[in-house]
Amino acid sequence: MKTASALNTYLKETGGWVAAQLEACTRCGICAEACHFYQALGNPEYAPVWKLEPLRRAYEQRFTLAGKLKLALGMEKRLTDSDLEHWSQIVYEACTVCDKCAFVCPMGIEIGPLIHKVRTGLAAAGLVPGNLAEATDKQKTIGSPLGVTDEMWRERIDWITDEWEADIPVDKAGAETLMVFTSIELMKFPDNLAFIAKILTQAGENWTVSSKGREVVNFGFFEADEELTRLFMHRVFQAAEELGVKRIVISECGHAYEAFRWTAANIMKVPPGLEIIHITELIHQYWKSGRIKIKEGAFDGETITFHDSCKIQRLGGLINQPREILQVLAPTSFKEMTPNKEQSMCCGGGGGVISIKEADSNRYAVFEMKLEQLQDIQAQGVCMTCSNCRLQFVDSLAHFNSTIKVHSLAELVAKALI
Amino acid sequence: MDWTEILRFSRGPLFHFSLIIFIAGMIYRLVRIIFLGWEKDRVKNQGSKWSGVIISYLKGLIILPFIPWVRRTFRNNALTFIAGGLFHLSLFLVLIFGEAHILVWQSLFGVSWAPLPNPIVDWLAAVGIISLIILLINRLTHPVLRLLTKLPVWINWTLVFLPFVTGYIMYHHLWFPYEVIFSLHLIFVCLLLIWIPFSRMSHFLFYFFSRTIHGARAGKRAVSP
Repeated sequence: MKTASALNTYLKETGGWVAAQLEACTRCGICAEACHFYQALGNPEYAPVWKLEPLRRAYEQRFTLAGKLKLALGMEKRLTDSDLEHWSQIVYEACTVCDKCAFVCPMGIEIGPLIHKVRTGLAAAGLVPGNLAEATDKQKTIGSPLGVTDEMWRERIDWITDEWEADIPVDKAGAETLMVFTSIELMKFPDNLAFIAKILTQAGENWTVSSKGREVVNFGFFEADEELTRLFMHRVFQAAEELGVKRIVISECGHAYEAFRWTAANIMKVPPGLEIIHITELIHQYWKSGRIKIKEGAFDGETITFHDSCKIQRLGGLINQPREILQVLAPTSFKEMTPNKEQSMCCGGGGGVISIKEADSNRYAVFEMKLEQLQDIQAQGVCMTCSNCRLQFVDSLAHFNSTIKVHSLAELVAKALI
Repeated sequence: MDWTEILRFSRGPLFHFSLIIFIAGMIYRLVRIIFLGWEKDRVKNQGSKWSGVIISYLKGLIILPFIPWVRRTFRNNALTFIAGGLFHLSLFLVLIFGEAHILVWQSLFGVSWAPLPNPIVDWLAAVGIISLIILLINRLTHPVLRLLTKLPVWINWTLVFLPFVTGYIMYHHLWFPYEVIFSLHLIFVCLLLIWIPFSRMSHFLFYFFSRTIHGARAGKRAVSP
């Protein structure tokens, strides 16, 4: 039964785009060395290409002569429930869909999005790891993967407004910009809301948050369940339409940016004329156009570096914007990690991995490599534009007893405002 | 056995039959993929898809094969990169600029060009053979490659290795009567041609799909592919 749902999904998802890339694979294995999970843990099953096995088998056995022949000769078996359970562990607990493999593959195969499709099949088969499924269910029923109810959300916004003397307009009619935050920020990094509010206010932005479209995180997208992905984005789009805003600003969250900016228009109806941008882009625009001014060298002194988030930098293209700002904030003490930019290594917490308890040891093993990169340049602080990365950094740095400080870009900019 | 007769058969009917299977098979594969359906991309661009595609090919065809060390992953995969790169270089140069091969191209297309000097082609062929042996050893020992390698991949290797090695033996007039080794060379080439459309060796065609897809995706998002 499970296998049937997964197979149906795979066959439905297999168009020319998927098939051409599956055919292009030469089985060279180079992608393995791109994968931080393989590098850290050495399990050959973590090779990105191996994560595509269920999709490849479904495709070949249904669409190709070679696949049918292999099946007839008994060289390859049909997918079974236990196969899928096995791959559920591999693709949810040892993959952050960071897509570094695609940038290393000599053939240029987009392995990340293909792994996303493998997840789609597993989600259809009901084989999402327990913790991830629970969080998704909370987002579906309560409206937030962390279980933040409407009431809690309001209280929290009020508290942040008081605590940091921030001005956060709620459901403001006539606003131009809808700012959507993550539950992670709201519950774990509440100051980030205040910092962003401060920047928006300083820039004279006519903005609001919405009590209906209040969650930008998309656990449906982590699971790769298309129905839920659409539902969670629909809530925000609906709020945007009701408020009549011109643009949605995605807060510091990678997967949400990937979903809203690069996926939504292809899987659902996006309100026409609605602009979708990331907070990093917006802050950079404000600074470039002089709507906000930041103090030069405000953070000079301690070595600070920038962590490239997969979905915002490597896949979102916002590579230079944060660097330009950091070079103003810390002109002499800003230092790059290696590798960086498109080739940077994922922190290990993305793609839903951080919400899965069973994946904790994988997550820490991967982070150890990131920690080495930080230590190589004697970083004392690290800045990033994704709260999910930030959660992974804060948790893992504590795990390894490191004193490196973690900052969000909004935080540094807000503190340096003049 | 009458090897003259076998040679006549393998350079004539067998070769032409194999070519037809190869071409028809590849067209079938191509058409099949194209008609599986392609979704339209409705997402707004941030950068240029075209520039991404161009950079993707420049990197894929010029930079990575010749200066692979620009990639950090090169260090952990040096063997695959160097032996794989040298193998492809050897394959293309020997196939296109070997004197005897130019005669085949001439008989097929009616045009010919200047060959590379025989000693160079000879060295290149040796490089190809050595690369193939290194790649085989790597495939037998690397844990990821062992996991990925099933029977079809071994067949791929064998069917590429045999034409290389028989061609080399033939050129040096070693061990076998000329008709015998020439026939074997041709028979193995024919087997290879027939095998390609059924195997991953068809990657030479799908390379252009995946490289374009990757370039366009990266270009669209304003990152370097």
